[in-house]
Amino acid sequence: MPRSERSKGASTSELGWRDAWRLTDVAFLELSLQAIYASKQGNLPPPIPAAQVARQARSRVVQSKAIVATVLALLVAGACLLMRAAPRIVATPFFGVPVSIPVFQAGVLCGLLTLEVAFLWWTGLQVLPTFLASAVLPVLEPLPIDERTLGRVAGLLYLRLFDLPAITVIVVTPLFVALTLGPVYGLAILPGAAAAVSFALALGLLTGRFFVRRVQGSRGGGGHTIVRWAYLVLWVLPAFAMFGLIVVAPGFLALIANTTSAGPTPSNYLLAASFPFSLAALPGAAANGAGVYGLDATGATVLVAASIGYLALAIGATAWLLGAVRRVGLAPPLIPASAPAARYDLVPQTPALAVLTKDLRIASRMPGYAFLVILPILDAAALGLFTFISGPAGSTTTFGLALAAVSTAALLATFFGPAFFATEVIAYSYGRTLPLSDRSILIGKVALVVAIYLVASALVLGLTLFRVFQPVVFVAFIAAELPAVTAASFLELGILFRRAQAKGLPIVNLYSGAWIAVLVSIPGILVAGAPLVAFEAVGGASSTLGFVAMAAFALGELAICAPFALGIGGG
Amino acid sequence: MAIPAYGPTAEPLVIGDLVVSYGERLAVNRLSFSVRAGEIYGLLGSNGAGKSSTIKAIVGLVRPSWGRISVFGLDAAHASLPVKQRLGYVPETSLLYEALTPREFLEFVASVRRLDRKAASDRARNYATAFRLAGEMEEPIASLSNGTRQKVLIIAALLHQPPLLVLDEPLNSLDPRSVRIMKDLLARYVTNTGRGVLFSTHTMEVAQQLCHRIGILDRGVLQGEGTLAGLRERAATGDASLEELFLRFTREDEGLDAAVRTLEGG
Repeated sequence: MPRSERSKGASTSELGWRDAWRLTDVAFLELSLQAIYASKQGNLPPPIPAAQVARQARSRVVQSKAIVATVLALLVAGACLLMRAAPRIVATPFFGVPVSIPVFQAGVLCGLLTLEVAFLWWTGLQVLPTFLASAVLPVLEPLPIDERTLGRVAGLLYLRLFDLPAITVIVVTPLFVALTLGPVYGLAILPGAAAAVSFALALGLLTGRFFVRRVQGSRGGGGHTIVRWAYLVLWVLPAFAMFGLIVVAPGFLALIANTTSAGPTPSNYLLAASFPFSLAALPGAAANGAGVYGLDATGATVLVAASIGYLALAIGATAWLLGAVRRVGLAPPLIPASAPAARYDLVPQTPALAVLTKDLRIASRMPGYAFLVILPILDAAALGLFTFISGPAGSTTTFGLALAAVSTAALLATFFGPAFFATEVIAYSYGRTLPLSDRSILIGKVALVVAIYLVASALVLGLTLFRVFQPVVFVAFIAAELPAVTAASFLELGILFRRAQAKGLPIVNLYSGAWIAVLVSIPGILVAGAPLVAFEAVGGASSTLGFVAMAAFALGELAICAPFALGIGGG
Repeated sequence: MAIPAYGPTAEPLVIGDLVVSYGERLAVNRLSFSVRAGEIYGLLGSNGAGKSSTIKAIVGLVRPSWGRISVFGLDAAHASLPVKQRLGYVPETSLLYEALTPREFLEFVASVRRLDRKAASDRARNYATAFRLAGEMEEPIASLSNGTRQKVLIIAALLHQPPLLVLDEPLNSLDPRSVRIMKDLLARYVTNTGRGVLFSTHTMEVAQQLCHRIGILDRGVLQGEGTLAGLRERAATGDASLEELFLRFTREDEGLDAAVRTLEGG
């Protein structure tokens, strides 16, 4: 129906919020089904009755939301424990700066709100491509439903993706804070929690669509690929911000303490007006007065006015969100107008290498998947950069930190190993009609994990070359851990393949149970971590024996895990 | 790399007593037919007749509950990789790696099929030129129209010049020019070769023009099989069209006039 006609009819046939909610019920089931089984990408649902498939899809989406909500609740609990222990923690100055208890508590709440925004934003970035790929909104569009109801349905659908996490932030944050510091604190943090949810969801939609359109609509070719990966690095930044915040927390606290102790200065006013400090400082100000932050009456006004302003902005963001989801859901990817010259030159590779190349190409246009590739690398880079402020060059701390960066890269790459089957979920059934053996797929995936580890390690080596001064020892550490990373990936992927073969299921359906991916990560991380433990146990970097023990352990693991995985056959 | 040799005496495809079920729903029930060398075999059926289920079982997407699928004498259940090497498959829906461009997708297919660089590139160029795909080779597949995606799938299926083509409604979404190209191409593809084509459709005109033999499938059961002349003879219908034969064999002509009259009445 043309939009103009629909608008004319709207006055007589407009549905209410209740009808919109009922429509959302049906649409959300379809969204869940596509999120879990991706049948629009050609995957077959499991061979069980349709009602059971629907129930499974619904319950798995609830599981995913529950996991996000649990992480958020744990963040709140952690922040509350820190605030409860404030008197003991602030007994020691941060970077030589004494921190008062109210400032420490405001700093922790500020960190908590930042983490809540970053985590929900990041979740939104991961969820949005699924939301768009499910094509639920285009199905509703041709139905004789008025414009306003369609907008409401779209908005409610998007909000339902985040209902459990959002409720957790809005309810658990004030509740835990009230139990820890008192009811006034709990009540006063509520605007902050609500604003965090609103900003995160709006940012997720805004940035998510921006990247999806530019990344997924990007052409092939070298230049375009570089631009795509640059966008994807930006995509990962919210997740990286979560990690970064934890790393820089002591310095951040020292900065706040310095600013607030200076009294009612312009810098302190600026801090009082900044997000999320104003909302995080509101509970302390409500309970003890703004003076605890060194603010006078003007400063207190700034603090309250800024908080009201952010709250108004959050309400505006929510209103925008409800209207914008439909526009975003229906907008096509951006394709540049001019077509490049056609290239027909195909360069066939070995099947395993083709799987690796295909996965990297898919990752370069799928932010959710690119995240798995980029995060271990960025994480290692951040720890590598941290060596520049961790102590004098060449010190034991600096060297230890560099080794920790490589270890983290190994463990993260291994942890994400099972998730690399996600491309097989989106790789659709077509891949299974090709003469591609399970062994080739497995080797291609293991190669990807190993490549991520090596790139991350090389980055740390490059960054710390002039801080650690022991490149040979460092390379020995990387090389000694390499067989363990390979063995861990073989083990994880081998288990997944064997389970698929035993159950007669295509691998694509196997991954749709998220718990399996988490479960196989446990033995994987144990295998990747065991040589690191052996290294420390035998004497660490101070003794050659540490490297020998590590390498021997890792090679032993590889000798066991590789035949286990490669024994899956050609299938 | 050349496709592994296939025995000149073995038929491209033999299906024996095939049963496909989804849970308790029986989609294909003891189906038997074969595709002979040099032949285009048309599998006709209404929606839900079992055409796609049969084809999915042949290409390895669905595990049959019972029966045998043999491709050039190779048992599909025990030699799935050699069978897949001999197959080219065009699915009913556009099952493609949406995040790749057509060139990247064809490169992946050429790699998996271990094709020679020059042969693969030349074929990709020739087919893409014929189907007027030049402007879309570097676009992400996600942004392509259904017809263009279908052309990419057809090129991927033909890239290794397989001795058996399995095409599930391959002409859906194609423009008239491309349909004409496909019809000519398929007719030439099997002439004087040991190749075979299994072609599923519910477009009777196409099947009548293109297929050497036809199998009429209804609710998972083969109701009739043979050449057009043979089917006419069996139905004793003189010069009936394939559409009339189809409706008769599937008994879908029963109550047809009444249904049309009901619709006319609003």
